[in-house]
Amino acid sequence: MSRWTLNIFCLLVYIFLMAPIIVVIGASLNAGAFLTFPPQGLSLRWYVTFFHNDVFLRAIGTSLWVAAIATFFSVIIGTMAALYYVHFAGKRKEWLRVALISPLLLPEILTAVALLFFLYGVGIGTKTMFGMLVGHVLMTLPFVFMNVSASLESYDTDWTMAARSLGAKPWVRFRRIVLPLIKPGLIGGTLFSFVISFDIYTISLLLKSIGTATLPIQLFDYLKTNYTPEAAAVSSVSILATLAVVIFVEKVVGLKVHKF
Amino acid sequence: MTEVRLDGLTKIYSGHKPAVDAISLTIPSGQFVSLLGPSGCGKTTTLKMLAGFEDVSSGAITFDGQDVVRVPAEDRDIGMVFQNYALFPHMTVFQNLAFGLEMRKIGKAEIKRRVQATLEMVQLDHLADRYPAQLSGGQQQRVAIGRALVIEPRILLLDEPLANLDAKLREEMRVFIRALQKRVGITTVYVTHDQAEAMTMSDLVVVMFDGTIAQAGAPSEIYEQPRSATVAGFVGQVNLIPAVVEAHRPDHVDTPFGEIPLPFPAQPGAKVTLVLRPEAVDLHRADAGQGVPAKVISLQYSGAIVDYVLEFADGTRMDVKTIPRHRVMVGDEVRLSVDPSRFWMLDGEG
Amino acid sequence: MRQRTAILLLLPAAILLTVFLAVPYVTVITSAFRTPGEGTPFGEGYTLGNFGRIFSQWYYIGQALNTMLIGAITTLVTLLIALPVAFQLARPKLFLRGLAYGIVLSPLLVGIVIRSYGWTILLGNNGVINRTLRDWGLIDHPLPLMYNTLGIIIALTHVFLPFMILPIMSAVQGIDPSVPAAARSLGAKRFTVIRRVLLPLAMPGIQSGCILVFVLSLSSYVTPALIGGFRVKTTAVTVVDAMLDTFQWPFGAALALTLAVVGGGTVLIFARLTRIKWKT
Repeated sequence: MSRWTLNIFCLLVYIFLMAPIIVVIGASLNAGAFLTFPPQGLSLRWYVTFFHNDVFLRAIGTSLWVAAIATFFSVIIGTMAALYYVHFAGKRKEWLRVALISPLLLPEILTAVALLFFLYGVGIGTKTMFGMLVGHVLMTLPFVFMNVSASLESYDTDWTMAARSLGAKPWVRFRRIVLPLIKPGLIGGTLFSFVISFDIYTISLLLKSIGTATLPIQLFDYLKTNYTPEAAAVSSVSILATLAVVIFVEKVVGLKVHKF
Repeated sequence: MTEVRLDGLTKIYSGHKPAVDAISLTIPSGQFVSLLGPSGCGKTTTLKMLAGFEDVSSGAITFDGQDVVRVPAEDRDIGMVFQNYALFPHMTVFQNLAFGLEMRKIGKAEIKRRVQATLEMVQLDHLADRYPAQLSGGQQQRVAIGRALVIEPRILLLDEPLANLDAKLREEMRVFIRALQKRVGITTVYVTHDQAEAMTMSDLVVVMFDGTIAQAGAPSEIYEQPRSATVAGFVGQVNLIPAVVEAHRPDHVDTPFGEIPLPFPAQPGAKVTLVLRPEAVDLHRADAGQGVPAKVISLQYSGAIVDYVLEFADGTRMDVKTIPRHRVMVGDEVRLSVDPSRFWMLDGEG
Repeated sequence: MRQRTAILLLLPAAILLTVFLAVPYVTVITSAFRTPGEGTPFGEGYTLGNFGRIFSQWYYIGQALNTMLIGAITTLVTLLIALPVAFQLARPKLFLRGLAYGIVLSPLLVGIVIRSYGWTILLGNNGVINRTLRDWGLIDHPLPLMYNTLGIIIALTHVFLPFMILPIMSAVQGIDPSVPAAARSLGAKRFTVIRRVLLPLAMPGIQSGCILVFVLSLSSYVTPALIGGFRVKTTAVTVVDAMLDTFQWPFGAALALTLAVVGGGTVLIFARLTRIKWKT
């Protein structure tokens, strides 16, 4: 393959990757009552409809809430596990890695079914959001772990020793040396965890309690019966919000990270 | 100014033979000591035990008579320079130096003053606001030394600090570190596998093999009066000449260069090994009146100095290193002479 | 920190993974052998009936085979697409590399429901593709792109492409540039360098990408459900139906377990066949 065929091929792949996203955003600007692309006349009417639709707004709220709580826990648990994995695991490292990313390797559908049985078995059931939250922590943990352990791998343990020789106690070492140096991985892990949680479908579907539909569930539900561009408007808002967060983190927090 | 004593210091990793095997050593206050040996000889493990990064299996480490074995590294008050410097990449040069002082709860103004003074000492005051990644290898090295010294530690430990520098810079840094150590007067332990570094910088050289101290002494002593063939070979090129102490003149030994007096008494008839440094041999023209005849087998120039391999009539060979005063070619006949005082002797066959 | 206190770092993750992953997986295996319940998740007795039902009806066997086929084809297609892209992205001086990388990552940032929804807009009988082709006069009747296996594969390929590109790219980035240069200096042509040096060195990334995409494809629900429109069902879709619509939990567990075992076996065979003996 010559360089030009390669470039053209890749360009087509990039178009393929972007196509459904562009189509959704385009369709959301439809002026008509039916979903068409390219849109027939531009209008923001479906956004207005969406902003008056409590069901979607509540779903977005639920999703944000679940993602925030799940991320909080998986960042703490995943970072601790990554610290152990990189510095103390020794010969068991390979096994530990497989165990920690296993939620990613196991089929989500079976994990969901297994959790559902388990929760009923121990009497927790799906009356509360507990089951769904646990599911989300499980599914986001591997991403936190992979990001943080990757940045810990490039962490030189001599830094810790240098800090010790200079008189730094464990907590000071963690706060002043380890934390700033693994910050890129930590931010990456948090971001990933949040985005993944926002996108989890099967686990949420099987483990949700009544009235706690997340955005993907609500959207899917809507799409089964409706063809109006409102779904496209909801999707577009979701896409743009994610994009905004990613760019914000990259620009604001990311800049400090890239300083060294 | 701290005197460091190691007493029967031992490190055993379970299931292995001792990494450091009951070594005892006294480092007088203010001295520069090198731990010299091949990789795996236990020198780095010894240093890490001194620093408190490795647990001691048995034995004692005392600073001025105070046992520090149970003192954690962060309370041991040592300055350590790491092989790869271990500078904190997210802190400026100034912040790197200030870190240890902050840990000691020293006031801002005092920190500023002391960091400034140390930066001047390591000639980096103009780079205080740079990040480590923006510095050259030699500059990073000096930051590492400054960071270790600014806290005014009891002892300074250096772990192969010059290994990552190029040859020219290494020479410069040797001189720099030694001069700085003399100025500060701090007891210093320096780990290296480079004999030239150890010899040029140290007051005391400790040669280690297999977790034990093979010999400890001044550089000249290690070089001229090695205690074993291994030590002799590790600190420089050497000719080992087997010989027998004469039965009728027990203070002499017969060599290709004639009978020479022994450096120390030995049993008559005992087998000994003579140690002769290649540069101790003088090379003369074949028609010179004195010296043992030999033939040039090969020669190799390394600048001013030439390395020869010579062969005697009985087939034994000898390495000679000299600045030739006349032109010598492979196959030439030459004559060799040695001043008897340059021979050293080992018991047995080395 | 000592080894013994350090283990505390692992404790929360260990508890989470044991209590909420390992134990449930054991539970789900036993649950697959339970009798159906009357108003309860499952009955009192144990039975092989759930598996009997799966393996005696061509409907479930065919569906599982089709699901495996969809997974295999999706994996193969994503691999073929991902290889050139991964090699291109791995070039450090690539023009607009940041943008290209962002585009590859973008599907991950956009929810799977939204992406699948985008494909329904594109692939539908009145969708963008069919309408464009009709407007150009190339076709009279809409091409059957949706509500079939083809549509599911197209959408899954899109959904999981990043999971194939990223591991391969990082494997390629890890290759010392002097290695292919050495091959060229020994007289290897461009294509030979790719085949004999670069592809083998990218193998760890290819392997993990393939496993990831295959597993994700087998267990994906949203895309097959939306694109298949409940007309072409995959096993995962049937599992969810059994759990939520017809409330046959033991049967759903048995079905999910069967899919996992068959899929896991395939992954093991694949990993065995592509075993990597060297290490960097």
